[in-house]
Amino acid sequence: MISIEELKDLANRLKFDMSEEEYQTLQKEFEIILKQMDLIGQIENVDTVEPMTFPYPVSASWIREDVEQEGLEIEELMSNIKDRMGNFIKVPKVVG
Amino acid sequence: MIYEPVIGIEVHCELKTKTKMFSPAKVNFGDAPNTNVNAIDLAYPGIMPLINKKAIEYAIAASHVLNMKIDRDLWFDRKNYFYSDLPKGFQITQDKRPIGSQGYLMVKLPNNDEKRVNITRLHMEEDTAKQIHYNDYTLIDYNRCGTPLIEIVTDAGIRSVEEAVAYIDKLKSTLAFIGVSDAKMEEGSIRCDINISLREKGTKVFGTKVEVKNLNSLNNVALALNYEIERQSKLLDNGEKVAQETRRFDELTKQTVTLRSKVDAVDYKYFTEPNILPIHLEEELISKVIDSIPELPESRKQRYLKEYNLSDYDASLLLQSREFSDYFEKCNNLCKQPKLVANWLLVDMSSYMNKENLNITNVNIDYQRLAELITLISENKISSKQAKEVFEIMKTEDKTPNEIVKEKNMIQVSDEGLIISLIDEVLNENPQTIEQYKSGRTNVLGFLVGQVIKKSKGQANPGMVSKILNQKLNS
Repeated sequence: MISIEELKDLANRLKFDMSEEEYQTLQKEFEIILKQMDLIGQIENVDTVEPMTFPYPVSASWIREDVEQEGLEIEELMSNIKDRMGNFIKVPKVVG
Repeated sequence: MIYEPVIGIEVHCELKTKTKMFSPAKVNFGDAPNTNVNAIDLAYPGIMPLINKKAIEYAIAASHVLNMKIDRDLWFDRKNYFYSDLPKGFQITQDKRPIGSQGYLMVKLPNNDEKRVNITRLHMEEDTAKQIHYNDYTLIDYNRCGTPLIEIVTDAGIRSVEEAVAYIDKLKSTLAFIGVSDAKMEEGSIRCDINISLREKGTKVFGTKVEVKNLNSLNNVALALNYEIERQSKLLDNGEKVAQETRRFDELTKQTVTLRSKVDAVDYKYFTEPNILPIHLEEELISKVIDSIPELPESRKQRYLKEYNLSDYDASLLLQSREFSDYFEKCNNLCKQPKLVANWLLVDMSSYMNKENLNITNVNIDYQRLAELITLISENKISSKQAKEVFEIMKTEDKTPNEIVKEKNMIQVSDEGLIISLIDEVLNENPQTIEQYKSGRTNVLGFLVGQVIKKSKGQANPGMVSKILNQKLNS
């Protein structure tokens, strides 16, 4: 069972918020998901099974050579930018 | 109480590729802001990452010299976080399966002891954009965004400031030597974060660790660690707790200051990068990379000491950089005179380069010309005095030593018959000097040698003249 508080904390970490109604819907959906997980957990030796990250056992062999290609022209790049200072993109103060 | 520091180090190293980790945009330190950026770096809709082969080869080479196991399958993960330094909203990194694991580096300490530093992992990732923060706004340059990085992580087995500094120094020079990175701390191509905690000496439990960031020189690494040891010791002595946090080294005050608490750590929600299929690394590629790694400094040094009989001091000087050592090797391969090459490189060439502000990569006397000059000396075709004259001319003229010797008519006579006849002439002309010599004034020998060389117009081999004269006078 997952609480509404836990869902709100997760949403906050993922930088979004929803209405109370949506949280309740999500809580119900989570119940189903958790039950399914529980069912999978009952399978014998399930922890020895490799996770299937990709649906097919495909692998790629082509890798890009280290050859330079022209980047975006500065004015083209800046056409998507709200504010600039010379060649720099200017944004509200962000300190991490 | 006596405390023991427990230190672990994470080093981020920018790779020296021409293009970015996942895009073909140019990588070049110091270019005008936002000029080396493309749609992939800015995460325009529909973009897909394109892995750089050179970056993989460099990561393999670095893993190999750090004695690591190399994962044969490339596997990338997403590290999700929302910040303006990466427009995608996530960084592509290797979380679950780093390309290199379980390695080590042998490090020489100031007291000459050897320390094995265990390296738990080496993984590939992309660098973030450079942000410059002002009081009320931030400027962003996306040129660095996407630059290939390797992150190299040690275990917590480092036990002193000296060990930490020696490890970073050795790692830096090793990565630079094999050519995978410029490894310049001051330009940010090597950055390190250090975890440090203290514990009572003799105990096995770990204390609360603090992470120190922003260490851009070896000197600052030492200052920051010493500061932390003192700060944490005081806290523990007073019965206080060390807070689990990230600190930053402040260059002005030479102190570490709190950056953020680690208790409420961000959850990066790692998951496999779905846009990159697993890539199997062929054995052929791996062995090709490993075969192309140059012989490392330690091994070269042993060879210089044992095979070439060079002094420890000279060998270390020759190994000041890969380029310098390569020049020495190439030159010696041509003339097979390691001692002479070492001597000329470390004395005449070095003082010339210092004076003219040149270095071994741009000096106008290439290894072929120096080898030719040294061959002329070792074959006794010119004297060392004449060699210095030739060297002077080589600095300003683009001629080969043989051409210069021919032009200046600088032949050294090593023909024994000719030298004996010149000596006989001189002895006949100076009977009184012979008397002086026989009565014990052996210092007149120099005068006689000078006379013979004068007669030969400076071309007689002084060593031979002196040897034969000695024999004659003492027979």
